[in-house]
Amino acid sequence: MRKFIVKRLVISVFILFFVALIMYTIMRCIPTSFVEAKARQLSQLPGAKSYEEWLAQLNATYHLDTTIIQGYFMWLWDAVRGHFGDSWYWNVPVLTEFKNSIWYSFALGAISFVLQIVIAIPLGILAARKQYGMADYIITVVALVGISLPTFFFATILKYIFSIKLGWLDLYGMVGRYYYQLSTFGKILDLGRHFIMPVATLVIISVGSLMRYTRTNMLEVLNADYIRTARAKGLPEKTVINKHAFRNTLIPIVTLLGGSLPGLFSGAMITETLYQIEGIGYVSYQAMINGDIPFYMFYSCFLAVLTLLGMLIADIMYAVVDPRVRFD
Amino acid sequence: MEEKKGGVSPEQPSDHELALDDERRVKVLSPGALVAKRFFRNRLAMVGLIILVCMFLFSFLGGAIIPYKENQIFEGYEEVVSDFAGATLNSDYRFYETESGIIPSGARTSLILAVNNGEMTYTSGDQTYSLTELGNDSWIISGTTPVADVNKLAGRYIITSDEIEVTNALTAAFTAAADAGETSFELDGVAYTISGSNRTFTISSMMELGVASKLVVEGEGLTYEFQKAALTAMGAKENSFTAEGTTYTLEYDGGSAIASAGSDVVALLSEYAVQGVENGTVISAELRSAIVEAIEEGQNSFTFTDENGTEVEYELKRENNRYTIRTATQSKLIQTYLAPSWEHWLGTDGAGMDILTRLMYGGRISLIIGFVVVILETIIGVVLGGLAGYFGKWVDMVIMRIVDVFYCIPTWPILIIFGSIMDSYQIGPKVRIYFMMIILAVLGWPFITRIVRGQILSLREQEFMVAAEATGISVSRRVFKHLVPNVIPQLIVQCTMALGGIILTESTMSFLGIGVKFPYASWGNIISSVSNVFVMTNYWYCWIPAGFLILITVLGFNFVGDGLRDAFDPKMKR
Repeated sequence: MRKFIVKRLVISVFILFFVALIMYTIMRCIPTSFVEAKARQLSQLPGAKSYEEWLAQLNATYHLDTTIIQGYFMWLWDAVRGHFGDSWYWNVPVLTEFKNSIWYSFALGAISFVLQIVIAIPLGILAARKQYGMADYIITVVALVGISLPTFFFATILKYIFSIKLGWLDLYGMVGRYYYQLSTFGKILDLGRHFIMPVATLVIISVGSLMRYTRTNMLEVLNADYIRTARAKGLPEKTVINKHAFRNTLIPIVTLLGGSLPGLFSGAMITETLYQIEGIGYVSYQAMINGDIPFYMFYSCFLAVLTLLGMLIADIMYAVVDPRVRFD
Repeated sequence: MEEKKGGVSPEQPSDHELALDDERRVKVLSPGALVAKRFFRNRLAMVGLIILVCMFLFSFLGGAIIPYKENQIFEGYEEVVSDFAGATLNSDYRFYETESGIIPSGARTSLILAVNNGEMTYTSGDQTYSLTELGNDSWIISGTTPVADVNKLAGRYIITSDEIEVTNALTAAFTAAADAGETSFELDGVAYTISGSNRTFTISSMMELGVASKLVVEGEGLTYEFQKAALTAMGAKENSFTAEGTTYTLEYDGGSAIASAGSDVVALLSEYAVQGVENGTVISAELRSAIVEAIEEGQNSFTFTDENGTEVEYELKRENNRYTIRTATQSKLIQTYLAPSWEHWLGTDGAGMDILTRLMYGGRISLIIGFVVVILETIIGVVLGGLAGYFGKWVDMVIMRIVDVFYCIPTWPILIIFGSIMDSYQIGPKVRIYFMMIILAVLGWPFITRIVRGQILSLREQEFMVAAEATGISVSRRVFKHLVPNVIPQLIVQCTMALGGIILTESTMSFLGIGVKFPYASWGNIISSVSNVFVMTNYWYCWIPAGFLILITVLGFNFVGDGLRDAFDPKMKR
């Protein structure tokens, strides 16, 4: 087990190294004129550093005056020690902005993750049990509609109905107009109110794939011999489904869910941007759309780490959940 | 279940004993036909197929049928009350010059002084000017040039000149004028003035340069002769005058007069200068006189009937000596956000383009991008996946690590930073679409490689591959002729699903403004008009149809993909 984890970790570091190299190369392919123009533009902001200072800082942070490989290793050494530079767009160190925003993203991700599980797994199992029945058709169609909905369109429809037509919720933002006059409890309620639509959007958009995954796995399990045996033994259908089938269905599902845990931190870029939830997705979208290279480098490496972590966790979970799997 | 239906039930009595594998007993279906049969029985898949066919017809055929073009901007005329003309009380001299005469600005300013002092001649620069009064503060200005000196000796005038020939006629004319005490005479069409006294005189030739007047003579294409004649007539309070062989009548109205030839009003003489606000506005003399009349009577508005017989309302606004004439004019406007109508079934968007047309062309772009990207992904994925799966060992290791690396590359940061770079380079919208396809394909191929490799790993252990190897078929033929075709069912399912995903990604990119750019339509950039809350609230037809099209197209691909998976892999059927 330990050997396996160590091996996977080594491979992950190796992959991360190349992912970061690709990101760095793309960044270096941006011609210097772009960087210079950016530095000039930045220096013209009120209270900003001078053009030379920005350019010098960019050169220092990204080693733009060296070759790509050399510069990459120098950047990597800085990055490993946690020096990611100052964000061009937010005018503060990248890590400060990251710390300010990550927990909003996590809250948004975690709430919708829990809701997804609560909705998707029972419905997926129901669909599998009644395959080609009415319930199955409805659930399949709803799941596929969720998968096919463009986030921005669904978010806009929600806004149109609940903010504009009904006037129940605010169009954007995390807090209402009178937030600072509210009591602590009121503040939490206000914050919660502003999270309703983003959470609803995320859940509807992503619940479909989990639902389909549950259904497929449940179908596979229901076709297995041990289920037939259980039925042949004369066990009540309830026991067959809830004990024999459900436990076995959980193996791939828990693996999948475990693998998507790190993703809770990645931020929902489109949803956060549309609702202006100041999570990492919104913050990095704003930065990147303005060509903020320090933030781009940081955020893409962060996402790559999360993906690798997800893959690693999924592998480990697979072994933990299913006692039949043994590592060699 | 399906297989049984086609055949004859074994229990059924029959005339002949049929062998078990007799073709008449069992209706044999090829594997492909079986898949097709299963597919066409799946209701959701059929719905998806119908949706897709409709979308293709809508985008490709619709764009060809519809009479409008992708970028056609619709303009219409609307009545807008705007400033039409301005009228100013004229207090300065206006100069009407002859065709050859030029009155320098120095002479123009000196004129005011001379008039105020009551002098009939004045000098400005080297030139001497003489004035002839016409009345009503109007003066004829002539430039005088000394041409001859005259000495009177014993009652006879002796004329000496360098410039003109001294003829008897000149002497006679001068003598007559001088004896009569006149200061000017005319000879051969040239006017001369006489200055000096007693014994020495100077003869100067006069050249008419123009007329200065505080009255404004306005009309279309007026000649100097007309202007002078009109001013002269007005000074003399005459009721008619002749210019260029035409007789005009003058009609007085307060401080202004209207000159007309027959029933046509030709010009207006008044104290007001009326000018159109826009260059090239034609204001007829009738309208001018109506404006001046309204000003003089202190009205706030008046109605004027133009030559076509339509009545037009004009408003007057006064500001010191300036008047602004406002009227409802027909302005050419781009018809933005028109509500759905027979001409525009889904209305027009913020740029005045027909939304239905944009949706059709946008569908083309979205579908083409989807297909091109999937084809590129499949090519890369099949080649690399085939190599990895067949060769295994280090080739597999290297390719799968590359796949892992690409799998970890975060899609959106890359797409956004590329969009940002392309913006800063101002890459044309068409080239941008090509770049988009390439980037999406480069980011999307790993999943196909994984599928192909996984399938091939299991297939290459099967007997037919051993047979292929034993017959000595070359490696590339083994991989691409025997292995890859067996992967195709899985590939088709995944590609169909991926198509929907790519259309979603593309539309999201276009929505965010980093994808397909303006002159080209895309479903995503049609919806992006909702970033303006006013549009979102008031013009539902600008964004709901586009979003709905994306939804059902992607849904169609997913339904078909799902149906294909069930059809290819009937294991899941109970």
